Amino acid sequence: MNYPVWDLTTFGGGFIIALVAVVHVLVSHFAVGGGLFLVLLEQKAYKQNDDGLLGYVKKHSKFFLLLTMVFGGLTGVGIWWTIALLNPAATSSLIHTFVFGWAAEWVFFLTEIIALFIYFYTFGKMERKKHLIIGWLYFFSAWMSLFLINGIIGYMLTPGAWIEDHSFWSGFFNPTFWPSLVFRTGLSLVLCGVFGFVTAAFLKDAKLRQNIMRTCAMWVAIPFTLMVAGGWWYFNSIPEPAITIILEKSPEIANYLQLLAWAMPIFFIASMVMLIRLPNSFQRVFCFVIVAIALIYFGAFEFIREGGRRPFIIYDYMYSNQVYVDDVPEIQKNGFLTKAKWTEHKEITPDNLLAAGKDLFKYQCSACHSVGGVLNDIMPLIKKYDSPFGMDSKLNGLGKLNHYMPHFMGTTEERWALASYIVQELNGINPQDTANLVIDAKELPVTIPPFDKEKDEYVLLAWNNLGMHCISDSDPFWILLPPANDLYAQLVKRGDSPEIITEGVEISYQVQEGFEYPEKQVQFWNYADKLLGANLAPGVGVGGLKVSGLMNLEEDHAAFTAPFIPVVPYPEDGSFNPFPIFTITAKDKETGEILMTTKTVAPTSTEMGCKNCHGGGWRVASVAGFTDETSLDVLAAHDKNSGTNLVERATNGEPMLCQSCHADPVLGTKGDPELLNFPAAIHGWHANFLTDREGMDACVACHPSRPDGPTQCFRSHHSEFMDCTSCHGTMEDHSLSLLKHELEAGKKGAARLMENLQARVVDSVEDINPRIPWMNEPDCLNCHEDFDMGSTTDAFNTWTAGGDELFRNRHDQMEAMMCAACHSSPHAVYPATLNKLGENRDSIQPLQYQGNDRPIGNDCTVCHTVQPDFEGHHPNSLR
Amino acid sequence: MNPAALIPTPDAIPVPWGWFYVLLMLTFLLHLLVMNAMLGGGIIALISALKNGKQDNLIGKEIGYKWPYTIAFAVNLGVAPLLFVQVLYGQFIYSSSVLMAVWWFSIFGLLILAYYAAYLYDFKFEALGSLRVFVLEFAVCILLYIAFMFSNNMTMMLQPDAWQAYFENGSGTLIMLSDSSLFPRYLHFVVGAVAVAGLFIALIGHFNFIKSAVNKEALISKGMKYFTYATAIQVFIGFWFLIALPKQVMMVFMGGSAYGTGLLLVGIILGFAVLYCGYKQMVIASSSITLIALIDMIFMRDLVRIAYLEPYFKVSDLVVKPEYSSLILFLATFALGLGMIAYMLKLAFGCRKEVSK
Repeated sequence: MNYPVWDLTTFGGGFIIALVAVVHVLVSHFAVGGGLFLVLLEQKAYKQNDDGLLGYVKKHSKFFLLLTMVFGGLTGVGIWWTIALLNPAATSSLIHTFVFGWAAEWVFFLTEIIALFIYFYTFGKMERKKHLIIGWLYFFSAWMSLFLINGIIGYMLTPGAWIEDHSFWSGFFNPTFWPSLVFRTGLSLVLCGVFGFVTAAFLKDAKLRQNIMRTCAMWVAIPFTLMVAGGWWYFNSIPEPAITIILEKSPEIANYLQLLAWAMPIFFIASMVMLIRLPNSFQRVFCFVIVAIALIYFGAFEFIREGGRRPFIIYDYMYSNQVYVDDVPEIQKNGFLTKAKWTEHKEITPDNLLAAGKDLFKYQCSACHSVGGVLNDIMPLIKKYDSPFGMDSKLNGLGKLNHYMPHFMGTTEERWALASYIVQELNGINPQDTANLVIDAKELPVTIPPFDKEKDEYVLLAWNNLGMHCISDSDPFWILLPPANDLYAQLVKRGDSPEIITEGVEISYQVQEGFEYPEKQVQFWNYADKLLGANLAPGVGVGGLKVSGLMNLEEDHAAFTAPFIPVVPYPEDGSFNPFPIFTITAKDKETGEILMTTKTVAPTSTEMGCKNCHGGGWRVASVAGFTDETSLDVLAAHDKNSGTNLVERATNGEPMLCQSCHADPVLGTKGDPELLNFPAAIHGWHANFLTDREGMDACVACHPSRPDGPTQCFRSHHSEFMDCTSCHGTMEDHSLSLLKHELEAGKKGAARLMENLQARVVDSVEDINPRIPWMNEPDCLNCHEDFDMGSTTDAFNTWTAGGDELFRNRHDQMEAMMCAACHSSPHAVYPATLNKLGENRDSIQPLQYQGNDRPIGNDCTVCHTVQPDFEGHHPNSLR
Repeated sequence: MNPAALIPTPDAIPVPWGWFYVLLMLTFLLHLLVMNAMLGGGIIALISALKNGKQDNLIGKEIGYKWPYTIAFAVNLGVAPLLFVQVLYGQFIYSSSVLMAVWWFSIFGLLILAYYAAYLYDFKFEALGSLRVFVLEFAVCILLYIAFMFSNNMTMMLQPDAWQAYFENGSGTLIMLSDSSLFPRYLHFVVGAVAVAGLFIALIGHFNFIKSAVNKEALISKGMKYFTYATAIQVFIGFWFLIALPKQVMMVFMGGSAYGTGLLLVGIILGFAVLYCGYKQMVIASSSITLIALIDMIFMRDLVRIAYLEPYFKVSDLVVKPEYSSLILFLATFALGLGMIAYMLKLAFGCRKEVSK
């Protein structure tokens, strides 16, 4: 941000420096070890009076001069040249911190050149002893160059105490200095043998050639141990978190680690092949093969070393994108563009949104990512993002859970600009084409069943227990919720003292026309055995019920229930209808006489917004359902982040239920006790990508609660002055309450997810009360104190003590009527006129029994034939 | 946009700027000498090859022997001043380098090719025959290209007001073609290089460092001729360069600063003195005066830089966070290096005598 950035696109992402550096390091290490090789072989030739060997040394010295001094020397300058173009801020830092280290290295570069010229041009002309001295001086100079550069390179990965004291010496003799020096010295000696093969292979004298081949093979073999030992020591000297990034986390490094693991033994074995007397024609080719293997081996090592530094160029001091670590707090507060010197757009306006985004990409992303290039191409990584929202969320979470990328640096407006640029310019997507559709409310016909207040003896109340059941119809890949909706019913015999009837009656439920065959709409039944370990006949739910049947008595509740009805929101006409209506009928068991009939909705939605970030679009009617693409991407992300093989399993026909590993009270799964429970895991993870969102923006990204969406699950009158966050807290608060419980339970994953989350509704994480999902929930009485009107809308952070205290499980003070029987289900308590498919759809029973949309009992005479004068159900019930 | 707003914040330096200034001037002078021998030598070798006379070919061959050395040392001795200029003016030169990144990046790759061409020319002089001229053309063109890019960068780094072109073109292909001082600056260096290289070959003859069969007198005479003609042309180019400078820079040498004006006057006097000595083929006198003139000119060059950057920056603005121990490391290494060089040269020249015996 301090310097201009070279707009490289295709050749970005470190391609240029990799190109220069890999070839340079191979030759430059050879330049070091080669000095010793020459002088020791020369000495040997003198001792053994071996003219053949001496002739070889002289020939090799010419090759050495031409390769190391010209190519090695200039590519070395080239690296400096290149880093100054690609990362001037870091180069400036290295130059200014170590200027006299560089200057000292320059002195040895000079003596190296002079020594090598003299060595080469006086070969055979100078007194032997003196000529050897020149050789030794060359080796000394070259090794000192290595010594000095090694300190500076090591400093970039492990600056050690320099971060605190900024002393030349602390940076130079950093924690990896010595192990790296041993490794590089070993390597430089190994390379002498490698390049020795090349010159030896072209010797004409077969005997001499084979002797030298064997000598060279020993030059590979013996220092190989030094190199491997140094390499091992080096890896063990790299501190956390860099070593974890190298060995476990970085998707970029994993391939190079594997390459290194393969290349090392192959390199050794290939070199040892040269011990064998082989046809010269083979040797002439194979010597270059060994050079290529060495290049791959060492290239992989350098990529790992560079990759291990992510997201820094100088660890803990400067990010790869030239931003100083110390500057980040100010940038987060005041913005990146105002701080950056080389940006044209200092403030974001609708007109410059994409141009500002482009600048942000250039200054924050392009240091590591090419656009359509060979290295770290951004295009496949962003391909799935078809909306600025998804991309923005990804940027929001960068560097929080995986530390190989930095956080996005800047304001939320800047983040949005970058996201818009990526989606619109790089992905070429018009966000209007992919935006979630705005769905207007409509009136689907609902026939209110008859009720004759004068004649009818029974009142039948029926409801769904949650107000909304979600289904992930991603069945071939995974599920988190199978098709399952729970209906409840209570039958009341009217009278002066009304009575709940639980015996001698039969209560049936019947789905509305068009929804009778869920097995034709989703693939759940093809995979139920894999997903749930249950062999379910098509159309039968996990509780053994179909979409029509009889309800069972649940005595504790004095209610009839039909658990896990496998209804899906897809009528056979191919549309999306999240509010199918069930007809509930109570009959006399003996006579078969119909006592009362009513209707209720079974809210069921597949409007789960995974696709907003995971791509793939909606499967059904452009508004809901999982495509294969979305489902697979969710698994791919899980595999990448948690080291699982879910994609492989799914593609082999073994999809999984998320909760089989992540325990979940609502499904009753135990999961893996080491892992976070499911709600904590899924909210905690995604909260890192959805921080600081307004209102329920974060909630609607995943849940079917978007006010302009096709479901709008929160449809009671509360939704006119409250939103999800009023009771559940913001995404951060909600997640923290779940994670905090897991943290206290000793789950190791919790701290990582909590690290970057800040409480918003309350002052701090300490103030958040931990809770078990589905058991400890916000309660109506948090606001409606003593069943009064309520003077607040803040219901967050006070939880029910257990599952039996939940609104959906509670009864009135006589332990008779269930709360939901009269008030309807959570999220849709009466009056619930905001149903997207019709204002009466959620109010069938109040309209049927009392002619209005208020809670049942608004008119006591619905059940009480004589107006009661005491508040039997709850205080204020006669208000 | 205010150009000053683009200038990056410089990093702190470990010892006061004077140390780096001295090291910069000293190493730049050394680089200049060797670089001139390299570039000018290449040009003279090419002209000689085109002339194709017997002595011309031998001069070409003689230069061929020395050419790889000059490239090696021009690079090595270029590293040091580039290091020190980055220490003092990093925020300027890094920025301008990025603006012309494509050209700047191409330099070292092309230089490798030129270097190998020089070795090819040296090692295969006879075998190449008439192809020599193509090898020379190839290498000299590269060196001229590199020189041009250096002139371009040195011009661009001084002019933050020109940096705004980056917002139109960030792909690293900017060139300061519209700047009136670019071409005279470039020619000033190239023609100067021919003059110094002329002296270089005259000195080879004078001290009898001849390796080829070239006639010593011919070598001196030709060398001095190149020197004198190039210097004569240089007088005009120098004047052109002076008037092409922005007024506030030019005035430093035209009475604006006594020091600057004095340096220019000394330069002019030395220029005419050296023309006379050159005409008279006085090798040592010409060389001595040229050395002084070169020192005079690098100080003038420094004044040009200071005047250009005067609205934005002076080196004394740099923050010093003292750490002398690293300077001591360098000075000790430098002393050790000089000792090693002296010792090695002693062995090498001793060997030369043994062989000649």
